[in-house]
Amino acid sequence: MTLRKKFLNVMLLFALVATVAAQTGRSIHVDWKETRLANGLRVITVEDHSAPVIAIDITYNVGSRNERPGRTGFAHLFEHMMFKGSENIGTGEHFYLVFNNGGTMNGTTNEDRTTYFEALPSNQLDLALFLEADRMRSLVINKANLDNQRNAVQEERRLGVDNQPYGQSGEVQQGLIYDNFAYKHTVIGSMEDLNAATVEDVAAFFKSYYAPNNAVLTLVGDFKTGDALKRIKQDFEKIPRQPDPPTVDMTEPEQKTERRASVDDALARLPQVDIAFKAVPGNTPDFYALQVLSASLQSGQSSRLYQALVKDKQLVTNVGGFMDEKRGPGALYISATLRQGVKAADVETAIYDEIERLKKDGIADWELQKAKNTTRRNFINNMQSSLSRAINMSVWAVYYNDPNLINTRLDKVSTVTKQDVQRVANKYLAATNRTVVVTIPKPKPAAATTQQ
Amino acid sequence: MKNLRVLMKRTFAAIALVVLAFSITSAQRAGTPQQGQSVKGADIKGRAPVNKEILKVSLPKGQETTLANGLRVILLESHRVPTFTVQMVVLSGGLADPTDYHGLASFTAALLREGTATRKSKDIAEQMDTIGATLGSTAGLSSLTSTITTSGLIENLDQALDVFADVIRNPKFPQEEVDKYKARQLQQLQFQRSIPQFLAQERFQRAIYGDHPAGLVVPPTESIKRITSADLAGFHSTYYRPNNAMLAIVGDVTLKEIMPKLERAFGDWQKSDVPATKIPAAPAPGAMRIQLINRPGSVQTVLQLGNLGIERTNPDYFAVLVMNQILGGGPAARLFLNLREDKGYTYGAYSNFGGSKFRGTVTSSSEVRTDVTEGAMHEFMYELNRMRDEKVSATELENAKRALIGSFALSLEQPQALLQNIVVQKIYDMPADYWDVYPQKVTAITAEDVQRVAQKYIDMGHLQIVAVGDATKTRGVLAKYGTVQEFDAEGKPVEPMKN
Repeated sequence: MTLRKKFLNVMLLFALVATVAAQTGRSIHVDWKETRLANGLRVITVEDHSAPVIAIDITYNVGSRNERPGRTGFAHLFEHMMFKGSENIGTGEHFYLVFNNGGTMNGTTNEDRTTYFEALPSNQLDLALFLEADRMRSLVINKANLDNQRNAVQEERRLGVDNQPYGQSGEVQQGLIYDNFAYKHTVIGSMEDLNAATVEDVAAFFKSYYAPNNAVLTLVGDFKTGDALKRIKQDFEKIPRQPDPPTVDMTEPEQKTERRASVDDALARLPQVDIAFKAVPGNTPDFYALQVLSASLQSGQSSRLYQALVKDKQLVTNVGGFMDEKRGPGALYISATLRQGVKAADVETAIYDEIERLKKDGIADWELQKAKNTTRRNFINNMQSSLSRAINMSVWAVYYNDPNLINTRLDKVSTVTKQDVQRVANKYLAATNRTVVVTIPKPKPAAATTQQ
Repeated sequence: MKNLRVLMKRTFAAIALVVLAFSITSAQRAGTPQQGQSVKGADIKGRAPVNKEILKVSLPKGQETTLANGLRVILLESHRVPTFTVQMVVLSGGLADPTDYHGLASFTAALLREGTATRKSKDIAEQMDTIGATLGSTAGLSSLTSTITTSGLIENLDQALDVFADVIRNPKFPQEEVDKYKARQLQQLQFQRSIPQFLAQERFQRAIYGDHPAGLVVPPTESIKRITSADLAGFHSTYYRPNNAMLAIVGDVTLKEIMPKLERAFGDWQKSDVPATKIPAAPAPGAMRIQLINRPGSVQTVLQLGNLGIERTNPDYFAVLVMNQILGGGPAARLFLNLREDKGYTYGAYSNFGGSKFRGTVTSSSEVRTDVTEGAMHEFMYELNRMRDEKVSATELENAKRALIGSFALSLEQPQALLQNIVVQKIYDMPADYWDVYPQKVTAITAEDVQRVAQKYIDMGHLQIVAVGDATKTRGVLAKYGTVQEFDAEGKPVEPMKN
């Protein structure tokens, strides 16, 4: 027994995130403060004493869109290197300290950003800041660490892509939808390119993209803003600014004809149809209208595709999808897993019939309400944790230069009208604008287990 | 001004509640934790500013009452956000399925929403989706309970409760919907069996539990074909009774506000005698076995190794909890640090344990690229034996406790998880202060306790090893650990080709 306990009860009064009444029910307002450090690091703080928790997120303005040909998967491989140690933190010590003190943490990479976060009991604020500052300032870069994480990332690829049914289909589709290299390749990258990454690549990437002036830090939770900012300045302000990284050309030529591919999949047992309609960047009026459209078409059991394909015609075991949010042109995705014996062409026809109906007649009042209420519930539930508030605000600052989207996003959804939905359906859901990938199960002959 | 008044009212309400109080535990110990100690796979420099105190939190308490028909109600007020979650926990699940009718409880739960006396399946979906509310219902094949859950925005609570009560009380199980659901399940199984982790889980459960209901992950095809609308109606009428259920609620609502709504929704729900469910004991552990599912085309081997564990209420629970934390409870645990951080064999390696009113399992698992299957097996066996043969270090023990106790602070931001804690305490008839003394029980665990339960529940003589991968490249490697039995994805034994 090495623990002795001494209790000191501190009554904690619930200081709510400021709340106001809105017409459709109570909404939540997040009071935030922005501070820019001398080295360009953008800092957003949100005090919230409702639970003894602090959450920190640092989002770097770099993702797979910044990669060059021959180095696909590099932004994500680099993310793994951020857990392999810095001047004062040993390899693996970052997550060792977070988890062993009752916290949680992770890092994720997508096309448009790389984000790192921790949530910890509020008495570990100094630890969280120290961990993030030390690696931003002094990442250890060596071949042993790179080779080790190259292995881990290649296993991540096998786990999610190469050893799963339909794994290659997503990759093929992404390569087909886009013409611009920025989005034309996957975040996980190819095995060859992962093998090609060098220590020099890591050092150059770190210097350019992991500079304070290319990042946003958001801190949410149970702390005093003045004290926290003092500590943040102390830990981060000494990290030197770097020249701004080159901007990425995201222009995407207009698609003129349908694109199509067929994938033979040794691991799949049922055919699958994946359809994507190229559309617009996130946080635009058409984006929000496409989100509402997607909810009507394919979210939940009341959706048009579920009712038609799963229930009425019994063509598929599952159908669903979403409007993807990206800084560059996103796409509306639909995916259907077919029942045995059903033809892919019949499933495509059934999907296109529903889309044509929606284009011709628009959506019903209840469908508009559904999209708005569902968005609102999801958004508000998400706001429950300090961590998701921190991540969202950092990401929205990096994507749209607008952390306050946390207070305005629901309004943007609520302004969408039925006419908007019908308009974007006709504008983007055209045959010439779609990319279709059909996966066909092609089991490898199990020769080795055939009885002699 | 109007907004300000509302704001003040809200704040006062919140203060009056004082949902939680927290205190500081001073963890005074001989050494400084986490300093200058390196472990396999991690280099611990010990220079980061770690606060030695574990923030001790008190979990908010639920309020309880009972309707006249015996329906127990538990409310956990949470005013963080204007939402609700309402969960009906019917105290009969898959364990109440008659033999030959595996899946009856599961199908009953799933089909509640497919039609009532006054609503068609589509009406139910549309009404709930329109208000942005969720509706889900589930029962496992070996579960103690069937649960039906709705969640949504608090301003839509009345409409959601209306549909929720209707599907729980008046389901009709239309034969057409039953047939569609059955056909969908059989098709879905094709998809599931293309996923390697699913195949591993199916084989592992069978290896541990044999013919016990927990030996099944999906209902047998014969069972699916046999079940009729009348069977579902029978299960529903027998077990879905207010005196055999509890209603667990968390959200932005007070007991005074919600009770009239619950009376309206469930007050005239008829009680009835419900037959007791006999809990079948898990079978005695079989001899150590290695089972390989051949999945041609695999580039990884999914490995799952484990034994029979403990019941949820076993006094060894806290020792097993700490042991699991050290062995594979997360990225800071031995399996992850060894197999991923040190060896680079995998994206992740973890251990897990669970228990019901019958014995659960203690398992370790990972996905590794095919050509390191041998190395991964070696490390798994090394780590399992090490848990048994050596006492864990003072630092590891301390870290595990800090992780387990410290994480309670974060749970305060997840009211739905707190409600689940209360439900667990009720289902297993645990003492009312179970979650309050939980940190003390964790604190009391010693290195000797950990080794004792490791020797008891990591039983190498009865270890069940399941691998899913390319048999041509893995059967030889696995054979070094014992006789390998091979299966196809359908679970049928196959004869390996001699080569």
